[in-house]
Amino acid sequence: MTLNTIASRGQTRPRRFYNLFPLRLTRKGRNSLAAYAFLLPGMAFILMWLAYPMVNALRISLYDWQLMPGATSPFLGLGNYRAALADPIFWSSLANTTRYALVTVAGQLFFGLVVALALEGVRHARVAMRVLYYLPVVTSWVVVSLLFEYLFNSNPAGLVNQALVNTFHLVDKAIPWLNEPRTAFIALYALGIWKGVGWTMVIFLAALQALPEECFAAAAIDGADGKHMLIYITLPLLAPTIALVFVMLTIGAFQTYIPIALITGGGPIHRTDVMLSYMYSQAFTDLKFGYSAALSFILAGIVFAISQAQLRLTRREAHSLP
Amino acid sequence: MKQTLFVLLLLASLVLASCTPQPTPTAPPPEPEKVTVKETVVVKETLVVPPTPAPEGDVTVTFWHNYNETSPENEMLVGTLIPMFEKDHPGIKIQALSVTWQDFRRKLLTSISGGVAPDLIRADIIWVPELADQGALVALDEAMPDFEEFKEVVFPGPLSTNLWQGHYYGLPLDTNTKVWLYNEALYEAAGISSPPATMDEIEAQCQALKAAKPDAYYFAADGTFAWVTLPWIWSFGGAVTDPEVTTATGYLNGPDTVAAYEFLLKLFDQGCISPLILGNGVDLFLGFAQDMYANTDNGPWTYPMVESLVPGKLVSAAPFPAGKGGSIDVVGGEDVVLFKQSQHPEQAIEFIRFLLSPEYQMKMAEVGQIPVRIDLVDSDYFQSHPYYGYFLEQLKTSQSRTAHPKLTQMDEIIIDAGQFILRHEKTPQEALDEAAAQIDALLVE
Repeated sequence: MTLNTIASRGQTRPRRFYNLFPLRLTRKGRNSLAAYAFLLPGMAFILMWLAYPMVNALRISLYDWQLMPGATSPFLGLGNYRAALADPIFWSSLANTTRYALVTVAGQLFFGLVVALALEGVRHARVAMRVLYYLPVVTSWVVVSLLFEYLFNSNPAGLVNQALVNTFHLVDKAIPWLNEPRTAFIALYALGIWKGVGWTMVIFLAALQALPEECFAAAAIDGADGKHMLIYITLPLLAPTIALVFVMLTIGAFQTYIPIALITGGGPIHRTDVMLSYMYSQAFTDLKFGYSAALSFILAGIVFAISQAQLRLTRREAHSLP
Repeated sequence: MKQTLFVLLLLASLVLASCTPQPTPTAPPPEPEKVTVKETVVVKETLVVPPTPAPEGDVTVTFWHNYNETSPENEMLVGTLIPMFEKDHPGIKIQALSVTWQDFRRKLLTSISGGVAPDLIRADIIWVPELADQGALVALDEAMPDFEEFKEVVFPGPLSTNLWQGHYYGLPLDTNTKVWLYNEALYEAAGISSPPATMDEIEAQCQALKAAKPDAYYFAADGTFAWVTLPWIWSFGGAVTDPEVTTATGYLNGPDTVAAYEFLLKLFDQGCISPLILGNGVDLFLGFAQDMYANTDNGPWTYPMVESLVPGKLVSAAPFPAGKGGSIDVVGGEDVVLFKQSQHPEQAIEFIRFLLSPEYQMKMAEVGQIPVRIDLVDSDYFQSHPYYGYFLEQLKTSQSRTAHPKLTQMDEIIIDAGQFILRHEKTPQEALDEAAAQIDALLVE
């Protein structure tokens, strides 16, 4: 029952809230006011929790920010940004972050797609299988980080070393996985991929289910087999989803912190530090809050630029697919 | 779609930026003339504790510590000592908050920057100069009229950890040091009759152990941080900086410090030191309890830790082996400090007096905390204690780490230097030259 039908029956028409104000507004003005009123809570939330911290962080990044409220913080201008560019640990952390993003994003995309394609064809225990793959996604980063630390332990040997040394006899003695940067990153990559596959699988499954059946039916009539359908129909149609997932995973990879902090602590000698772990140590260990804020803006700029480039690239590739 | 994605990306990037730690939201904008980069103005105004009128209701004093919630120390504090204080001080309530070690520093810094620091904390001794330099702490020698009385009854070493630029910003609450702890079962297996009295005996003892038990390690430590390396440096006659803490050059890279690291490197290369020192090895206490490690340099907490792993396992103690500089270990422990943001400084100071009282110190000693009061050392309890005596004896020669606000950063430099050396990426002289230059740069900031 609409408001008009209520009014036409002689009942009291409820007053709209903007009629409570003694303002003479045009219909367009009233509509705008209503729209802004509805936007207000969301905008207030964004201003309070996004805009204010962001502007404040930008301000902090321009100072040698002092801890105590009321203390005078010397203005450095772009000094913190210049210092970052001259800081070798900043560059090694950035390189580590980039490598982490490249490996884990590729791994999550590949395995997520493979699992989604495999599960799409599963007829039995479909839900149970999806839950199993999704379980790592909802598990705490802290818990799984500690679990992986145990798995890759070298002395006493964790499960991985036990398997390599005692079960498969591939190596003579336990590998110190977590004490050398190269091997530590293998454990970190494995964790990143394992934890993220469930999320990409769910997104790809949803996208797969929305693909038009008629394309596949037509291709089948033309004699296309499964491989051809995957290459010439499924993947091109999934391209926008792949692009979106690609970008979201990259942003997530650049924000990795907990596994690094818990498994290697950025060591040895900062060699497994990523941008966020380095940023955190600069703020809370060395009390360089201004420098840390500058690092965060540099990272935000890099993530934005990379994501833009990814989007353009993946769109172009999607359009050029046969 | 394109525009939506662009906006999404922008928002995500900005969220990333806005996640930066923001310690001082209430700080006023700087004055335009303060454009000099090197000039750091630190607020150090003296807090004058105002004469507070008798409280109308209960006043709550907040006290943060890092005793585990289920630990005997926490049970003693919350179950016995705080009720004892509250009974004697009607109108003052103590709210003790257990904060995990991992979260303590972050939570504390965030609280300070938000203007809501606790009244008191049990602070790691190395934090006191740093917090004092930030202007967060009350100089207790100015705020406590009876400070001198307390100064006289505590050990001078732990007291010195509270001294920064001529003022005492806290009082020692509990102290500790490390001693040479050895595994008699391994000594017996290797035919070693007694722990090394000097550095010269170590190498031969290690060879004897390796011959008898090749898989065992003569010595174990769990990192290359200053807490581990300083006893070696000092006992070899070296130092990190000059006594006035103005330079590290000539001290950290001086011949005695280099000799200490060369000695450690030699032991490490011979398999005498467990790879745990680089982070890759069996846990220190587990390895000791399971006869994998013959010696460690550690604190009184080793006894309950080893006992919990292998009940009845014997842990024996001796002074740290003497070198050219003597037998010098490092002072640890905690201080109690009062924050300028305290809402009830007078009541908090009253609680500090209680924390330094013989009753409190004695009760906490029963649960493993070595007291800081000199007069308690001669008590029957300590004279008959199975192992406190070794630590109290070592405390006579133990030294405190450099009292400097940049100590945390200095420690990072020392950690990295140790890693470079033991990984053979740099010679001891090269690594320590670089470390000394880095510390010098910190000291002039």
